[in-house]
Amino acid sequence: MSQRSLSRLQLHNLHLAQGHRTVLEHVEGDFQPGAITALIGANGAGKSTLIQAIMGELRPMSGKVVCTVPKERRAWLPQQLALDLTFPMSVEELVMTGSWPSHGALKGYCAAHYRKGREIMARLGISHLAHRPLGELSGGQRQRALIGRTLMQEAELLLLDEPFANVDSETVDILIRILRQMADDGATLILVLHDMDHLRRLADEVLMLNGGHGRWVSPSALTHQHAPAEVVPFTLGGRHAGTA
Amino acid sequence: MLALLDAWFIAPFDYGFMRRAVVGGLALSLAAPTLGVFLVLRGMSLIGDAMAHAILPGVALGFLLAGFSLPVMSIGGVMFGVMVALLAGAVSKMGGQREDAAMASFFIISLAAGVMLISIGGSSVDLTHVLFGSILAINSTALLLIAGMSTLIVLTLAVIFRALVVECLDPLFLRGQSRRSGWVHSVFLGLLVLNLTAGFQTLGTLMAVGLMMLPATSARFWSKRLEGLIGIAVALAMIASTGGLLLSFHLDIPSGPSIILLAGSGYLLSALFGRYHSLAARWRRRTAPLPAEPST
Repeated sequence: MSQRSLSRLQLHNLHLAQGHRTVLEHVEGDFQPGAITALIGANGAGKSTLIQAIMGELRPMSGKVVCTVPKERRAWLPQQLALDLTFPMSVEELVMTGSWPSHGALKGYCAAHYRKGREIMARLGISHLAHRPLGELSGGQRQRALIGRTLMQEAELLLLDEPFANVDSETVDILIRILRQMADDGATLILVLHDMDHLRRLADEVLMLNGGHGRWVSPSALTHQHAPAEVVPFTLGGRHAGTA
Repeated sequence: MLALLDAWFIAPFDYGFMRRAVVGGLALSLAAPTLGVFLVLRGMSLIGDAMAHAILPGVALGFLLAGFSLPVMSIGGVMFGVMVALLAGAVSKMGGQREDAAMASFFIISLAAGVMLISIGGSSVDLTHVLFGSILAINSTALLLIAGMSTLIVLTLAVIFRALVVECLDPLFLRGQSRRSGWVHSVFLGLLVLNLTAGFQTLGTLMAVGLMMLPATSARFWSKRLEGLIGIAVALAMIASTGGLLLSFHLDIPSGPSIILLAGSGYLLSALFGRYHSLAARWRRRTAPLPAEPST
């Protein structure tokens, strides 16, 4: 948190479009190691578009994304997972695939990797599910396994699209603790959030997308009773993640 | 009884061509079903079929140039298969059309071109051989070629196994991990073409895909683990290829269809009686809760 000069990710006057439709203009941003940024905005405000641009999946019309994190240390968990749940793979095997960056595509796993994988599963409380096929997991268990993979990956930049949607409250508590710990260890986190409670518990900074622009606001201003009027729609308009 | 067993299962192997054919079949059975398992898991079951058509013009050209020479026909087949795969990829990249639509177009063109080339240069017997296979044609060179290709496929699969698994499971994650993630897909398609080419001599170009797909789809009814799927598929393929050759020998039918029909009956039996998702499994699950009567 103290290394403010060494920002990991910078957005410079970013202009993003999907096809010919401008989605975002003049977005500025500076993401430090150890910071958890909440990305908020109504549906269609451009949150996913911005994430795509940060991950290098979408070329900006103008402006630029400067990211010092190597590609293999970036992790992105989209809300619509490309994950094939019918694939015959266990939780442990999924977590282990995160060792790709340190291990390459071709080498086998060694004992130290398995040990690390087991530690990660224990931290996430999914040790008992190690050999369970992915298709038989609940939403919360699956989310924990995926976070386990990013831990294995030693991700330095983590983008999570509504990580708490469709997960149980126990998982939410565990994930909030783990994500905070990852930030304390120096990772940069960007989370799309809809729930004010999660935002209050986790976010250090908030980037609010509205009307094609990005605006940085402080979390306290958002969660405070006397929130500015234009902020309120986000707390109501977005799809609330179930925490029950 | 023993004499009957001998006549059915042992005596055919007195012939050299049968020995070669069965070894070739076993070699193919190691490589093809493994590729098939990945095709099924990637939801690309029909791509193998399409690819099988794609190699035909190459095989036919080889046949026109050098007669029934497996090496020449194989080189032609691999070249055409790779070319069609690249063309289909290029057309889909041009936009407007998805890869499967482009492939479907190229493959049917290839099939027509292949059949026409063989008809120009050969007889209808030649056409039957190329399309449906002939065990009589397997000489030592052909056997070496089949064994060599199968070995190459199995070894390459072993090397890229983990990358392939990650690509099947979560392509987005793989794309995030490396800029050149496309190579996994390309290598896999290359292996596919190689395997179909290796298979066409015994099975025929149209049937070669059967030894790849049927054991793999059958295995889905027996295992939920990747290792299990591959092991079962390989075992089924070995049984089907050996049994099919014997049937072909005794009943005087083309070897390709008899091997594939045997594998096909394995599939039907698996769908009926397999451990998972089969009719029997569904029936078991429906009846299982009933006996749970409280004991007094």
